[in-house]
Amino acid sequence: MEALVQPSELLLEAVKDLSARSGHAFQISPTPVPGTNLFVVHTEQHEYRQEYTVPSGGLGFRAPFNFPDAAPEDSFFITAIDTKLITPDSVRRTTDLNRAGRADGHVNGSALTNIPVLVFSWHLWDRVPWNRRKHTLFDHYTHCVRRFGLAEHD
Amino acid sequence: MNDRKRVKLPVDHLSDELHIAADTDTWREVTTKLKADAPNEACCFLLTRPSRGVRRTTVLIREIIWPKSGEVTATPGSLEVSADFISRAMDAAIDAGPMVGLCLVHTHPKSEIFGEGIARFSSRDDWYEERLFPTITLDRPDAISASIVLGSTGDIDGRIWWADRGRSLTQAAHAIRIVGPELTIVETPSSNWKDHPDPTVMDRSTRLWGKEGRRRLQNLRIGIPGAGGTGSLTILGLATMGVGKLLVWDKDIAKKQNRHRTAGVTAEFVDHPKVQAMKAMAESLATAEPFSIEVYEEWGTTAEALTRLKDCDVIFCCVDKFAPRVPLNDLAYAHLIPTIDMASWMHPDHNKQIDALMTHAHVWSPGIPCAWCRETLSSFILMREAQGRQQAIERRIPYGLALEETDGVEPSVLPLNMLGVSLALIQFMQVALKITTRTPNDLKFFLPEWELDESDRPVRHACDCVLTLGLGDTLRISPVEIE
Repeated sequence: MEALVQPSELLLEAVKDLSARSGHAFQISPTPVPGTNLFVVHTEQHEYRQEYTVPSGGLGFRAPFNFPDAAPEDSFFITAIDTKLITPDSVRRTTDLNRAGRADGHVNGSALTNIPVLVFSWHLWDRVPWNRRKHTLFDHYTHCVRRFGLAEHD
Repeated sequence: MNDRKRVKLPVDHLSDELHIAADTDTWREVTTKLKADAPNEACCFLLTRPSRGVRRTTVLIREIIWPKSGEVTATPGSLEVSADFISRAMDAAIDAGPMVGLCLVHTHPKSEIFGEGIARFSSRDDWYEERLFPTITLDRPDAISASIVLGSTGDIDGRIWWADRGRSLTQAAHAIRIVGPELTIVETPSSNWKDHPDPTVMDRSTRLWGKEGRRRLQNLRIGIPGAGGTGSLTILGLATMGVGKLLVWDKDIAKKQNRHRTAGVTAEFVDHPKVQAMKAMAESLATAEPFSIEVYEEWGTTAEALTRLKDCDVIFCCVDKFAPRVPLNDLAYAHLIPTIDMASWMHPDHNKQIDALMTHAHVWSPGIPCAWCRETLSSFILMREAQGRQQAIERRIPYGLALEETDGVEPSVLPLNMLGVSLALIQFMQVALKITTRTPNDLKFFLPEWELDESDRPVRHACDCVLTLGLGDTLRISPVEIE
């Protein structure tokens, strides 16, 4: 099953709303990532957390063609794949970022072209489930940013 | 009733077919309370929302507005509705949005003076409504309003009122649909339903569902999005059972690989549109007379297909993905069209041997939990499906695991599909023909338990199936267009 090649009006409206409310210029890929029905939504320049070796860079996530019936992926990515913690995490004793891993082919089809990204699998929607009639891409983005403020270990 | 010379109503044509529809609970409340006022006439207003198909318009009725004390004066032969009551009802419609109109329901009760109350609009009704409905409709061009009269023996008449170019126009309704776990269709005097010319061909079946059921089958219009493993067998079953009108959607071209699990795909139809094979099969089997099957080489959840599905009385959901189930589930509740969903599922173990399989037939209709209540659908499941070849990638990435790509194609076999369709057709007999006293929500077959189960589950609090009931065209339903 493959979606239509263009994002829906609802998705375009949602990205516009996200940009307006977040203050960051988010854009959406013109086509889904090959082999999926997911569009890449990202902004080129976003501040990362202060504990990271890289202060800012691209940040984004993937949203399904049938958004908002389908939730955005329960993850997000940054483009600076070599990002580490400045100081090792006190529990894990490493500068690797927690539950983050390099992914190839994750943002194909977007303006980012075929670059690898660092994907954070941090369960953004673990407490309140996505509600298709209520939640927005801005809510999803807020979760991403909220997780930046939490500890670097589970 | 005070009869007088009939006024000439501004009769016009809105749709080839006109229905008024209510969910069972709303209808029960209206009829029970109004009839309790017998031998006096009684009335109430309901808010209406439109459901515009291609050949049919349905006026969906929902929130009831009861008269307050002193707002209605009633006798066995007359009804006086105060301006206050009308204003209050109009305010409620205006507050609910530009597509919301009003339906006036009133009774012709049995009384000692007039005998049984007949459900026909009297000349007094005509005179009154000719004055009332311009007030209700003229400033609300996007709303469709209606009027219903209830007789004392269960008979009903209805008509639609709407505004067009500064005029308030009317057309007789053909039927009232009352939709709950079962579908009741009450024909009005304007009904265009016909009986089968030779009912003896259905003798054995008629012994179960009676002449009324036979007439219903002959005249029902059934939509079938999907003409694959389950859709083809559904078409075979419905055409054989005597359903008179079928609408079928599928964009696929028949392949040789389809033949071992799809009814009707003979060798000559390989490399031709699947729906053409379905049309030939259905026409060769059909027992209804007349019988019509319309086929569309398109997916059944495009914007155009969703509009055409509003013409249907019952829908069989024969799609094989989760995404297209969303608009079909939403349509069932918002437009009051019972939909029977079928699905088969197989689970392989670590050795890629099937260790579990399931098929089910689930009814989506008012009074029965929807696919979201049952968690057959969830935003998470839909997201997983959208991940396609990268399914569950977020679980693997943090651990540096490579992505295992899959083509996502599950096994499919005729016996399992046939069992699912059989369960769905049994559900259909109950929904449309009421062969027993209660409609099961969900019939399921499980292996390895080898269990046939009626799996009931309650409605989730504040789920869409409750909140969107009868919202019709005022609810945005997103089409799903997939290749």
